[in-house]
Amino acid sequence: MNNLLTIFIAMVIVNNMVLAKFLGLCPFFGVSKKLSNAFSMGIAVTLVMLIASVSTSVIYNYILVPYKVKFMNIVIYILVIASLVQIVELIIKRTNIILYNALGIYLPLITTNCTVLGITLINSAENYSILESVVSALGAGIGFTLVLIIMSGIREKLDLADSPKSMRGLPVAFLVAALLALAFVGFNGMV
Amino acid sequence: MNTGLIITILSAIGIVCGILIFMVNRFLPKEPESLKKTEEISGHLPGVNCGACGYPGCFAYAQALAKDKNTFFTNTCATVLQEPGMLKGLEKTLGIEVDSSKINKKAVVHCYGNPGVIGNYSGIKTCNAASKLLGGYKECPYGCLGLGDCMAVCPNDAISIDKEMNVAVIDPDKCIGCGLCVKECPIGIIKLVPANANIVYLCSYQSLKNIPGREKCDVGCLHCKKCFKACENGAIIWNEEKAIPEFDFTRCTLCGKCIEACPHGRLIELSNIALKEKAGILKDKEKNKRR
Repeated sequence: MNNLLTIFIAMVIVNNMVLAKFLGLCPFFGVSKKLSNAFSMGIAVTLVMLIASVSTSVIYNYILVPYKVKFMNIVIYILVIASLVQIVELIIKRTNIILYNALGIYLPLITTNCTVLGITLINSAENYSILESVVSALGAGIGFTLVLIIMSGIREKLDLADSPKSMRGLPVAFLVAALLALAFVGFNGMV
Repeated sequence: MNTGLIITILSAIGIVCGILIFMVNRFLPKEPESLKKTEEISGHLPGVNCGACGYPGCFAYAQALAKDKNTFFTNTCATVLQEPGMLKGLEKTLGIEVDSSKINKKAVVHCYGNPGVIGNYSGIKTCNAASKLLGGYKECPYGCLGLGDCMAVCPNDAISIDKEMNVAVIDPDKCIGCGLCVKECPIGIIKLVPANANIVYLCSYQSLKNIPGREKCDVGCLHCKKCFKACENGAIIWNEEKAIPEFDFTRCTLCGKCIEACPHGRLIELSNIALKEKAGILKDKEKNKRR
């Protein structure tokens, strides 16, 4: 139990996907203009991460390890994640059209996102069991959502600020990202 | 390392994934009939997702239309009304007939604009923020602040800011009557008028509140009732409470007498430049006018 909690907190704050591991930077800058969009994107990523890490850790623990073909993980994970996102998109589209409208645009975007592939590779590099990978994926997803929400909140306020013309938009967003990453360094050594 | 094993594992996982996708596609319920209709309807909608109809986006509006086609009359899409081709397509799909002249509207800024200010405003550059500070920095509390909140929400770029008079100007040809600027304006001087209303009145000053705005603004309404008296068709109704004229556009014959009668000659004017030329009125005054 203690171990799971450690993994969770480490993934949310200390080893944050965006600010500590520098994965998933394109949605971090691309979808963080509006708070509502950032939240939907975060939820979608968390969902896909959970599904991907369950299936890949099953494959890792029951196929790749016994047959000693661990080096194949990238190829197999990409294959599995891409088809799983397809299935999830189909299921959501056929059963809940409102949810599909909210998440639909983001799901195909995430298919080969580096955060999703990253979390599955981290799970297998750390030799996590299935339960541990689920917890770590949940933590990574929540951490990603958290950072996206913080970033979009700051950027919404920044739009109103009277900043120099050359700094408006993305340049100032990069500065903010750097400061945020510096702030998250403060969590180092917590776990 | 056994190459055969690797190939087997990779292809096995690929085949399993393929079968899974096939199964999901085959055994889940097909897209319901209403969804097909919704997609057909949304093909006839503009797709700008302005939200003026009251639904979150064009797709949600199409869903509502698919359920009940009379939604079009209660929550009208302003953009479709402006495009005869689009409207015809939608009428055909829904099986309804729409008289666009009756529900078509457009927005007008009820202020002529006045550069007179109480003091220099250097805060956040939005009308909303400026209006919170002592009710705006303008002499007249009903004066356009000219910081462009309405310009920012306009989905069709119909609004521009006249720098000289510091007022927002809405291009009647571009305005689609969605009403987003009406909701956005913090002082409430943008109002929707029927699209066939060719006479607009450019002041919102209410006489009953004793504010020195009128004395500082040289183009404000004098509340002299001259336009009301000049109108022979009863198209102008005098609002006693606010002491400003209101128009009944169904009775207006575009005779131009109210425009002639107004001491300023500016407050009431034809909204459309082409119409002004056609009517042949106001030619001499036109030269020193803004629009």
